[in-house]
Parts: sequence; structure tokens; C-alpha cells
Amino acid sequence: MKYKESLLRMAWTPRNVLSTYRADLFKRKFLDSFAFHPPNHCSTITSHPLAHKGQHNGSFLPPLAIPGQCLGSVDNYGAGPGTHIQQSNIYASIAGPVVLDPAQPKAQTKGIIRITRTLLPSKQTAPIAGGAHAASAKSKPRYNTLPAVESIVLARVTRVQKRQATVSILVVLDDTNTPSADPSKTASDNDNVAAILSSAANPENHSSTDELRFQAQIRKEDVRAVEKDRVIMDEMFRVGDIVRGSVISLGDQSFYYLTTARNDLGVVMARSEAGNMMFPVSWNQMRDPYTGVAEQRKVARPN
Amino acid sequence: MNDRRRVNGPPGGTRPPVYASLLETGTGAGDRSQRQRQPAELRKICMHDDNLSAPAYQTNLWHFRTSVLKTGLIPSASGSSYLEFEPSASLTAARANPKSLIPPSSALKLACTVHGPKPLPRSAAFSPNLVLTTHVKYAPFAARKRKGHVRDSSERDLGVHLETALRGAIIAERWPKSGLDITITILEAEDDRWWGDAPDSHDASWGMMNVLAGCISAASAAIADAHIDCLDLVAGGVAALVSNDSTNSSSSAPRLMLDADPAEHRSIVSACVVAYMPARDEITELWLKGDSSKASLAAGDQRTGHEALIDGAVDAARGAYTVLAEAVRESLQRAFDQS
Amino acid sequence: MSNQRQASSASQTPHLSPAELSYLYTSLSLPRAPIRPDGRSPTQFRPLSAESNILPGTNGSARIGFADGTQAIVGVKAEVERTNLATDTLASQSDVNDSEEHQGSAAVSGHGSWVQMSIEIPGFRDDDALPVFLSEMMRESLVGSVTEGSGKADAADAAEMAGGLKGRLVINKRWHWRLYIDVLLLSQPLSYPLPLLSLTTHLALLSTKLPKLKSQGEEDPFFDDDWAVAEYLYPRISSQKTKLPSQYVRPPVTLLVISVGENVIFDPNREEIAVADAVLAISLTRDSEAGSLKLLSIRTIDPPSRLTQPAVPNSENVNMLGAPAPTEDIAVLNPVTGEEEVPGVWRPRRGGIKRSVIANMVQTVLKKGGVGEDVLEGLEGVEVE
Repeated sequence: MKYKESLLRMAWTPRNVLSTYRADLFKRKFLDSFAFHPPNHCSTITSHPLAHKGQHNGSFLPPLAIPGQCLGSVDNYGAGPGTHIQQSNIYASIAGPVVLDPAQPKAQTKGIIRITRTLLPSKQTAPIAGGAHAASAKSKPRYNTLPAVESIVLARVTRVQKRQATVSILVVLDDTNTPSADPSKTASDNDNVAAILSSAANPENHSSTDELRFQAQIRKEDVRAVEKDRVIMDEMFRVGDIVRGSVISLGDQSFYYLTTARNDLGVVMARSEAGNMMFPVSWNQMRDPYTGVAEQRKVARPN
Repeated sequence: MNDRRRVNGPPGGTRPPVYASLLETGTGAGDRSQRQRQPAELRKICMHDDNLSAPAYQTNLWHFRTSVLKTGLIPSASGSSYLEFEPSASLTAARANPKSLIPPSSALKLACTVHGPKPLPRSAAFSPNLVLTTHVKYAPFAARKRKGHVRDSSERDLGVHLETALRGAIIAERWPKSGLDITITILEAEDDRWWGDAPDSHDASWGMMNVLAGCISAASAAIADAHIDCLDLVAGGVAALVSNDSTNSSSSAPRLMLDADPAEHRSIVSACVVAYMPARDEITELWLKGDSSKASLAAGDQRTGHEALIDGAVDAARGAYTVLAEAVRESLQRAFDQS
Repeated sequence: MSNQRQASSASQTPHLSPAELSYLYTSLSLPRAPIRPDGRSPTQFRPLSAESNILPGTNGSARIGFADGTQAIVGVKAEVERTNLATDTLASQSDVNDSEEHQGSAAVSGHGSWVQMSIEIPGFRDDDALPVFLSEMMRESLVGSVTEGSGKADAADAAEMAGGLKGRLVINKRWHWRLYIDVLLLSQPLSYPLPLLSLTTHLALLSTKLPKLKSQGEEDPFFDDDWAVAEYLYPRISSQKTKLPSQYVRPPVTLLVISVGENVIFDPNREEIAVADAVLAISLTRDSEAGSLKLLSIRTIDPPSRLTQPAVPNSENVNMLGAPAPTEDIAVLNPVTGEEEVPGVWRPRRGGIKRSVIANMVQTVLKKGGVGEDVLEGLEGVEVE
């Protein structure tokens, strides 16, 4: 048996790289001018720059869009949520109803095209008397919302420590609904908000779904706006409380950061030591209706 | 890697017995099914109506079963879809009037679910983008040979292809710190070749490419159903160079076929699957294998074999896109009407 | 989990800041003359050292080391195995009925599963996405490289390779060789390890020898135990018959190609691949008939640039509020991606590849005098006797 070994360095440079490369590039550019161009479905819209004027749900905009559908040119519209811009045109990026927020005549802005995640027809997003609203709340569509900076969330306290409280986010409240709106009318990925809240207020009910919810922290200095250095976390939150908070940061790899340093933010639902639902009596106290015992909390101002 | 947690079936798999009558020619039972379509004609993709009555193959439509969400079959999924290819003519005939226990070919059926966006596991690092996880699994009964419960290398390979295809379409920066799990279960897979053929020199897992194309379209529909931002619907398409001559002489060059069913051809020389976004005319995933240099193209066609193959696959994807867009639009319309 | 996640992308996303990514992208996408961080030309490979036949216990082996210290070792082992395909198919069953001369085609042309490939990369489990994807990619071009050797029937050696690697593994109707290709990466990959693994596998297969067969026809095989007369798995054609040494039948090579802007760049390092618009793995081999190059497979690889962190233009930066508005901070349309971009502000790539870009990348590899030929010639320069 014999083995031939060889060891050498290879460093190859093609002979005339530069020249062939350039020639190739030129050829490509030349050929590109004949290349296939995707059908431009935007032409009908762009040719009518004023067509949308004064129309809330303009006839030149489709009522429903699917991802990749062209909605108009950036010259005429602004791109809102649920859309993206490509080659100076606005394209839908989710499937849903197209909504045109009309231009503000004073501010010299363009109308904003957005695609809503709720399947409510756009006319119902305007405040209409209760009937229509209740009907739409009944068949609630499911969709996904992520907590973003400044969004208002409802969260359940899972752990209280000296420097921070850990909460898991149950519901991200929709922009179109003010926080005062009945939570059961806010669309969310949790279909039955009322059920979540009532079950969550029960400290016995530690469901394993916490792992599937986004975790957040309320740091000691974000609990309230005044006397930040006197905050004692145990007197602000207890495990099982439902807290309304505002997202201040996407945070680190595992937690969002919330703040409750506003009058309308803080504990909205809590049970007493005895296990009864408490009602708020002041900005820092809640009371058990049966035993009459008051407990300390950072209470959200009731609406 | 053995699965020790379950009682597994026999490792070798079982197959129906082959009776002597099959070996006699002329009965029709043991004959290869023939392609009935034009070279550029695609198979129809199946529609299942809400009432889940008998599938109707008459229209070239593919409905996406929104009822899956409501019937509680996959209640936790944020989006799901179901896809089925039209069975070949011979398979339909064999089902109506069975001559043999062995079906002549198979038709792709798969279900896709999307879970998320949901928080990343605690151990995961911060990600400013949506983290996509794809999981493709053949049901144990999906192919003629039984598959195990543990994913094998071809299933993992499919998962990587699918992830590449989808990641190009998703606008990931809109979903920071969250993960999206896409799970595809293949209920019935395409054959790699006609079951009666011995593996020959062009043997490879061609059926996998058809499966991948189906996975891409189904996953795109499910993602749209879950309202995850994406640039466009992304459709999968397959084109293949096939040679049908039994003598295996090099006289007849392989011809280009769109959406080729491997069971219908003597041998596939080369095949290509693309994931294609029509609104941008862009390919997010390209998988081409085999020798495409000997393609017989129309006279005057200056393209090389692989270019023709890619263009063919894109054309097939365009065909799938029309069905895909129609399905997404229709399910949206239905949800809109109900609200 | 995090490992697995990164694995499916082209490699671990390097921790480069958006500013660094933008700088890299700009210099790599300079029209016609990209500037690479290490000063190479677009088609130049990293210097490497190679040796073959280093492991006496194998049928063939090779080692390649890059200058950055990453090394790969490939060992090829062959075992004799009984062919057991016959019961599967109608064709072979009718063989039993008809006659012995009518051979089942599987026994003649071989089977893809006779080549097994496993890749071990430190830091990855063997069922992680990256090793699986890489081994499937390299295996499919290996077993797929069928040469239609009908025109070469006179040259006995070439006819031997007619069925490609699979055909070469057939001993007779009842026996075949099974080939195990084990790839070992010696350190954590600093860049996407595909070029390194592919080149090393190529060299190892070139040096692989099978013992000379002494039995004939359908006998149970027995072999000459003299290693000196063993035959190469990829036979060499005697020099008087062919003019060029390049006419050898060669194992395929898989090249990693990226496109940045309008440029096509080969053998990208970790930083370059992080800003790529598109990443393709292109497998090719020499066509023994035409003497030109033949495409065997293309796969897209998920470019890690999609997972990078975006930069914030000054106009949107909260920390720059009140600062004088920069004049150059205007979004322009990037002609390649079609996205609105502020020059010098990094945006993660999104979307796919245009067909013209793919065609250009493949063309650069395959054309006469192109990179593919250079690589194959360079590998042929490694002395494998």
C-alpha cells in the first residue's frame, strides 16, 4: 500500500476577470431593457389623481384587499398600517377592508390608506349609535395585535418583587377604542375578554397559557408619577390583579416595559385577602365589600 | 434516532400484495397512468365547500376552508388552510371502478396551520424581526411506504425550503420579539415515480418538489388568513423535463411539462420548483435539480435548459396564484359578510 | 432553539451594526468594481491549503483548510452490500417470469440511497437544519450527476461511468457498493461552510479507490487485496485517448454565489453574506461529452440580511430632534430592490430575487472561462495520483 500526499496552496484568480465581467454587465444591462415587466395594475388608479377626493371609501379603491394588491401611488396617498410601499406604489400587506382616512384640508396632507385588521366595515368605525356596535361586537373577528410603544394593555400580575412587578399581557386595547370603552367590545386575539378577566382575577387560576402570552415588567420607578422613591411594590400590586398599563418600551429579550404612572392607569380589578372582588375607594385604596377591609393598591381611576 | 416513546409500527412498512393478474398486460390494472393534460396545463386544485360535501373538481378553484377555524378542528390556530390537488384521470377511474388494490397514482393533500405571533421562548435572544419556524411532516400513511413519527432528513429539508420561501415574503420587522410557527401535515403525498417502475438512473425524490410547491401555496394562504404582514401572496410552481420513451434511447430529448405528476412519466430528467410573488415578479425560493442541458425547446428558443425550466415553474406558479388569490379573497369576503 | 433558528439562515447572523452593514453593502454594490473587505476580486476565492489521501483507514480522504483557520476533513468509506430491490416492482417481478437476461433497471443503474452523507459541524446537532440541508444539497448533486454516456461506448472507462456515481457503485445484479461520505468540520464555521465542505468532498471522492474486482459476472464478488491495483471510483482516462486532462469525469462541485446590488460575488465570507440580496448554491460538473460545464442543481439559501436590525434615518431619530436637518437625508428609490431607501441607512432586505439576477449568477458560473471552469481547473491542479 502506498499513499501519495500532496500539499499545495491554491489561490486562483481568473485570467481576465475584469474585462469579461464588465462585458457581461454591459450585456445584462442591455438585455434588461427588454426584460419582462410585471403587469402594472396601478395604472387605473394613478391616472385619476383626484378621483378619491371627498370620498370616504372611494370607488377607485377596492373595498377589500389581499396581500400584494396595488392600492395607489404614493403621490396621491400616504401608506398607513397594513400596507407597504414598493416602486412608489402602495400595496396591501394583509387581507382586509381598505380604509381611506381622508386628507386634512388644513394640514396639506394626503389621504392615508390603511387596511384594518378588524373586519368591521369602515363606516362603523365612526361612532354610530349602540345598535350597530353591539351587532359587530357579537361576531368578533380574530386577529393579531402586538403590544407597541404607547399601546394600552390589560395585564395580569404574576409576580411582585422589590424592584419590579412581572405581568403577563392579556389584551392589547385597540387604537380605535378609547380605554374607556367596554373591554368586551375591543377586538383582540383573545375572543372572550370578559372570561379572561374574570378567570384571571382568581389567584387560584394559574393557567399554563401564561407561557403563550407576552410578558412585561412594571419597574418600581414606573408605577406612579409622584413620590417615585417611596413606592413599595407590595402596596401597589398583588399577584392576580388586573392592571391597565401603557407600554413604554419593547424592552429586552423577554419583557416589555409598562408604566402605570397616569391617573387612568393602574389596578382595575383585584381580589382581597378574603377572596372577594374589591371596589376602588381612592387612588391608593380598594375595599372589600363584605369584610370592609381596605387594601392598598395603585388604583386606576374608574371611568 | 429511534422513537422510544411510542409503540411503533414495523420499520420496513407494508404494501398491498401484488396479484398475478396485475402482471398480465392488457387488464389495465397494472398500466401506468397517462398524462391527459397539455404540457402547459396545470392540475386543478381542489375546492372544498363549507358544507364539506363531495369535493367538486369542476371549477378551477381552490377554496380554503374557513370552516376549519370555526368547527374547532384547530381552535388555537390563528390561521389555517387546506389544499388538495385534483387526482389524475386514471386515479379517479380507479377509485370509481377499482381493478387493483394499488391506486395508480396519488394526489397531494395537505393541511397547514399557523400559530402566532406569540412570544419567543425565554431562552431565545432578542430579535427585532418575526422569527419563523417551519415544520413539515408527512403523516405516517401519506406515502406508499410508511413514514415514521420522527421527522427524517427529507422532511427537515422541506422545512428549510419552505422557510426560505416564506421569509422572503413576510415583512418581518413589523412583528418584533415574536415567533410564528407554521406546521404542515401532508396527508397524501405525491409519488416519486410510478409505483410499478424500478428506480432508474433518473430516480430522485421528484414527488418532494410537488409537495413543496403545495406547501408554499398553502402556507401563504394560511399566513394571509392569520393577518401576518407580507409583501405578496407567494405561490409555488413546478416544471419538469420529462422523457416518456421506454427504450431510454437518447433519440427523443426530454420535453418541458408544467406541474408534472411523476407517476405519469417514464422518467423525469430535471425539475424545478419556485416560490414566486407575481406582484413583484420575484422568486423567493428556487430549487432546481437534475440535468437540464438536453431540453428540447421550441425552434428559435434561445433560452438554456435551466432558464426554460425556471420560466416554466414561474408560469406554473402564476397559475397557482390565481387560485390562491381567489381563495384568500373569497374567505375574506365571507368573513366580511358575516361581520 | 436559538441555534436552530440561526441555522436555517445562511449562517449565524454576525453582530454587525446597521452602520457597518450599510458600509459593507455600499462598497460591495459599487457598479462594476465591488470592493470586498479582504481585497479580493469578485470571483476570487480565499486562499486555501489542500491535501488528499491523509487517512489510511479510508478508501479516500481529503483535508482543506482556509486561511482563517477553518478546516474540514472528509473520509469516504465503501462497503459491499447485497442489492435488495427486486421484490419492490412490477418490472423485476416480470423478470423472474421472463428470463434472466431481462435485467431490472435498478440493478444496472444504481440507487441514490447507496450514497450516504453525514455532516458534523461543531455546535450543531446532527438533526439541526443546517447539517441536514447541506448534506441533502451535496448528496443530490452527487447522485444526480448522470452522464448520458451513450456516445462514448468505445472508451471503456467512460462507459463505466455512464450511470454516474450510482452506476459506478453497481458490482453486479446482486451486489453493490455502499458509499459513506463523512464530513467533519473541525471548528465552528466562521462563514457559511458550503464551499469548504464541497471542495473537500470533491477532493476526497477524487482520491477514493475501490479494490479491484477479481470475480466475474454474477458470482459473489471477491476482490484483489493488493491496494496498488485498486481502481479509482472516478476512473482516469488513459492520457493517449484524450487530449486534455480536463476530460476526466469529475465529482460535482457546489459553489456559493451571492448577489449584492448588481454585482455577483463568489465565495463570500461571513460579513459579505450578511449583506447579500440573494444567496444561491449552484452545483455543477464537467459534461464529459461536450467538455463544457453542466448545471446540476440550484438552491436558494435564506440570506441572513433579512434578519438584521434596521437603522433609523436622522430625520426619524428622536435623538436628533432639533439638530439641523441633514440635506442628504432624502429617500431615493433603490433600482435593484425597488424600495425607498435613504442612502447609507441600512434596511433589512425583503422580497425575493428577480429572474434576471438568477440568470446572471448562473451565467457567471457556467460560461466558458467562467468561475466554474477556474474552480474545477484549480481542483484538478491538486495532485491526486
